[in-house]
Amino acid sequence: MTENEKKEPARGPATTAPAANQTAGPPLRGLYGQVNISVKTLNVIILVLAAALVISMAIGIANRGFMVNFDSLGGTTVESQKRMYDELIEEPEPPTREGYLFDGWYRDRDTTQPWDMETDTVTEPMTLYARWRQR
Amino acid sequence: MAEKEKMKKVGDILLNNAMYIIIALAVVYITIMRPKFIELPSIINVLSLTAAKLPIALGIGGCIVLTGTDISAGRVVGLTACISASLLTKTFKVFPNMDSALPLPLVLLLVIAIGAAVGFVNGFSVAKFKLHPFIVTLSTQLIVYGIILIYLMQGVNNGQTLSGLTDGYRSFVTGALFTVGNNVAVPKYVLYSILLTALMWLIWNKTTFGKNMFAVGSNEEAANVSGVNVSRTIILVFMLAGIMYALTGFLDSARIASANANTGLNYECDAIAACVIGGVSFVGGIGRISGIVVGVVLLQIIFAGLSFLAVDPNMLYIIKGLIILTACAIDMRKYLVRK
Repeated sequence: MTENEKKEPARGPATTAPAANQTAGPPLRGLYGQVNISVKTLNVIILVLAAALVISMAIGIANRGFMVNFDSLGGTTVESQKRMYDELIEEPEPPTREGYLFDGWYRDRDTTQPWDMETDTVTEPMTLYARWRQR
Repeated sequence: MAEKEKMKKVGDILLNNAMYIIIALAVVYITIMRPKFIELPSIINVLSLTAAKLPIALGIGGCIVLTGTDISAGRVVGLTACISASLLTKTFKVFPNMDSALPLPLVLLLVIAIGAAVGFVNGFSVAKFKLHPFIVTLSTQLIVYGIILIYLMQGVNNGQTLSGLTDGYRSFVTGALFTVGNNVAVPKYVLYSILLTALMWLIWNKTTFGKNMFAVGSNEEAANVSGVNVSRTIILVFMLAGIMYALTGFLDSARIASANANTGLNYECDAIAACVIGGVSFVGGIGRISGIVVGVVLLQIIFAGLSFLAVDPNMLYIIKGLIILTACAIDMRKYLVRK
């Protein structure tokens, strides 16, 4: 592609300059209007990208597990847990806070949706929040 | 020679379907590792997720057919979700003076109007000022996000998550359409999604507007010469897309049972990826509704599967990005080898 062609505006198929050295078929239009690539190069790119995709999935699977964090909202720190899909959370040692009583773990900061350690299972990374009652 | 030709053909098929092959292999692997993945509850889960993500993809599909894109989609979903959640609730934090929820149809019409209005701004700027949709929708994305944040600061809400939705709203969207097997419910929004898909199929394939959209997408100048009102077509496509995002937002806040400033974040990425996987081409003027449905289903299958394996969620973003790139490369290849 020459310098002049590079300066062509990309918008719209009608204003797009046809690319020069394609091996086959019509020149690319639309959002690909500025792309100048041969099928052979594309073959290599597709193979490389496919390999990258498979490798990323493998890395993801190797590092699997959802982090469950506990925000004690002013109480003592509670250690995070790593859980697999559909697993129960191991009930942690309840946190303590001066002048308050611990009142369970909740899904949201406003402590409206309680988390049942016996039945609720993990499906994503998440943070549970502590609810406190004044002593 | 014939042997070589045959090899080339096999190579063509493998490369053009590389994405489907990878997804199929991944599904086989996931099923072997976690056989529960192909059990009924999981299948219904994928079906529901597909239904939830379909309308936005159907909307964006039209913009891509016009050789454009729309990256404001996710934020429009967020805005309409927040508006729905603030009006159809039992605790009026945004409007402390209200004491009962508005009628459902009224809120639905309101969010549709808002979605259409954002779509109009996008479409008008693209059609009249010849701005690239990327620039326009990037601006509206930011503007809409600002509006969401300001909206959530209204009343006594103070930017918090909106919840406590009315039972009527929740059951209208997430109520059981029917139950299958061992009491696994199929939610009502699956039906709405099917209806919207049918409607979009009619619009794309059976109306003059649909034909005009493809004409403008494949060659704007030629469409103009043959008497198509190009500006009106572009504006309508973006407005229709805006309406689809609004419906996604309306369904999403009831589906998730809450809405906040992050609702809808990055939805456009998934929708664009689904369209490209489904063969809606960035070269313009090419695409089918059935392709979009397949694209959304495949994406949901792969991501439901990966979360079934508890794959590192940070990795999912990288995988998504690579899926979009691979799909684009395949899309270009298909176009180039076509004679």
